[in-house]
Amino acid sequence: MLSGLETKYVTRAALLGSDYRGVNFEMLCEVGDEVKVGAAVMRDVRRPQIKFTAPLSGRVASIERGKRRKLISLQIDVDDSMAVASQQPPAGNDGVSLRNFMLESGAWSMLRTRPFGNIPDPDAEPAAVFVTALDAEPLAPEPRSIIETYQQEFNSAVNVLADLSDAPLYVCHAPNHVLGFENSSKIRSVSFAGGYAAGLPGVHINALCPIGFGGGEVWHIGYQDVISLGHLLLHGEPWLQRVISLGGNAVRNPRDLAVYPGSKISELLVNEISEVAPRTLMGSTIYGRESAPGSAFLSARQRQITVFDSTTGEAAGTKASSPGALIPNETLESLILPGIYPVPLMRALQLGDAERARELGALELVEEDVMPLSRACVSSSDYAMLLRDVLDQLESVR
Amino acid sequence: MLQLQLLALLPVVIAALVNTGYQYLAAIARNPALVTDDFRSQIALGLGANHERLGLYDMFAAGFAHFVPVLLVALLVGGFWERIITERRQASIEPGFVLVALLFTLLMPGAAAWVHVVFGMSFAMLLGRGIFGGEGKTFLSPALLGVAIVQVSFPGVADQHPLWSGLAGYAGSDAIALFHRGGDAALSAADINLWTAFIGRTPGTMGTTSVLAVALGAVLLLIERLISWRLLAAQIIGLFVFATIFNILGADTGASAMPAYWHLLLGSFAFGAVFIACDPVASACTNPGRWIQGFLIAALVVLIRVANTTHPDAVIPALLLASIVAPLIDHAVLAWNIRGRARRHV
Repeated sequence: MLSGLETKYVTRAALLGSDYRGVNFEMLCEVGDEVKVGAAVMRDVRRPQIKFTAPLSGRVASIERGKRRKLISLQIDVDDSMAVASQQPPAGNDGVSLRNFMLESGAWSMLRTRPFGNIPDPDAEPAAVFVTALDAEPLAPEPRSIIETYQQEFNSAVNVLADLSDAPLYVCHAPNHVLGFENSSKIRSVSFAGGYAAGLPGVHINALCPIGFGGGEVWHIGYQDVISLGHLLLHGEPWLQRVISLGGNAVRNPRDLAVYPGSKISELLVNEISEVAPRTLMGSTIYGRESAPGSAFLSARQRQITVFDSTTGEAAGTKASSPGALIPNETLESLILPGIYPVPLMRALQLGDAERARELGALELVEEDVMPLSRACVSSSDYAMLLRDVLDQLESVR
Repeated sequence: MLQLQLLALLPVVIAALVNTGYQYLAAIARNPALVTDDFRSQIALGLGANHERLGLYDMFAAGFAHFVPVLLVALLVGGFWERIITERRQASIEPGFVLVALLFTLLMPGAAAWVHVVFGMSFAMLLGRGIFGGEGKTFLSPALLGVAIVQVSFPGVADQHPLWSGLAGYAGSDAIALFHRGGDAALSAADINLWTAFIGRTPGTMGTTSVLAVALGAVLLLIERLISWRLLAAQIIGLFVFATIFNILGADTGASAMPAYWHLLLGSFAFGAVFIACDPVASACTNPGRWIQGFLIAALVVLIRVANTTHPDAVIPALLLASIVAPLIDHAVLAWNIRGRARRHV
């Protein structure tokens, strides 16, 4: 258990459709069913080996769908039994049985590809695998103490991830956090420093295995998901916690919290907020997104909730002048991955010119990488959304 | 953003008022016959500007008489076209035309004829802004385009008025022309030394003479990150490099013998480098492109000053050319960038 961390329980948690891009969900449960922790509740229609498991035990409370029956959330009323559907340990150390283990246990869905940010195909071969073991965003929880508490789980999961394919595995960590991996032909540990961007997978990939036009892909996974995978490997059940930080000037007592994965955010914020109508960011002030009505639950890789009072930040900020026109500015160059020229890319995104955006490096990016551009640009364009449109177009012709 | 740009121009406007008044009064002091009954002289005299006293108030008053009428006409013309353009487009009026009018005025000589102001501002608003869709969508600085069109259409604009020509034995528009003719000796004969050139007590277009005022504005713009330090640094470094090259290799007379510090202090290079060239919309939008464009501007300024004596100042055509090729520079930078991406194996 994590020492010194307050645990905050909720009565409702959810799996969010928006966390799994491009997946058509097939339900393996119905509203009213009792589910155990780790039991498969959904799978991908196109790739049925990919399963999604219940993060907690309880009763399926609702299955919320949006436009064109797209899954918004599968909500579970949490009970206290925490009955576990145990997983068999992997049959061997070879890639096939490790992959089967991850697919059966639902851990596969924690991997993400770059380009596009999808769940990788079960039989795909990455050019490299990245473990993100640092977090440089403002007010983020410190990964070091969390990883050190779960060092065994972390190490065994990293070894399994390295054995998934022949590709090198990079463990990206903060300079002052020594992880103790011997640099071998398989596992390489690399330290990253410098600014809020140092913790972005996009930055690590750009530095170590940059995406070009070759059609390959790399995989990445966050440190808390690695711990969860290690927990499955060593104990046969998923990790029932995520560590998030609660910060911002409308929070009474900013601190790190241990919470259930997929917790309902309004329950987490009970008695925490000093403001009637605050502005809530899912994530940090740099890379977080404004909470939409649909995002009532913690998303899969979310590590922060930032709550401001309504007078802080952009609400009173610089967005007023001349909407529509994009005014180039030197600061924009420092807000995006090195090697990408932001202004031409932003223009291509505004025009929806997918081919030009691809040439200018759109494949290296996902939404979080362009969030700072949306904040800095006076044109009030939502580059995250524009990028997603372009990536969808590029993926459909791939 | 507009407020900050106007604030950065405040020292320039003050310097413009003082120096325009000084030039006018000093000219009258040398030759009282120059006082005519033209409109501006009437205002100057009405405000009590006295060329014998030549105090700060007298300079301000005389400067006011020359600067404000031009600015008012420019604002009226700018506002008129902005109104018509936005009405046709059913958009709301963008206040950026105020900045265009102010920059345009600062680049005009003190005795610019009304027709020049109306003509230049109309082109600035229509060709420089309107047809591209308004603020932030152009590829040239509108004020620069307006001034360039006036210069091309009325080649003698800078020396239309007796005050700005025929003085102290030279007929050019500004101190650079003076150097062309007589070198350092001519400058000291006209009471121009490093200090007076730095604070801007030299003949020239109204707002561009004071390097000190421009520097103050530049500091504000750099701190607020409204202009690119790379583009500015490239222009200044480039100016020194190319001027020195011509000093060593070029002829011993005229602008090719002009030391680099005179290139910077005389004429409108400093003003153009900060307020026109660094217009974020009208300059290169990649960092390597900014360096290249800055060096290109500096090279063109020095080259035109050396090679073409009909454009002694050279800043307007140089900036215009550099602005036009900025998208080409960016295109080359991006082609290089895409080439690098295509070579990756993933």
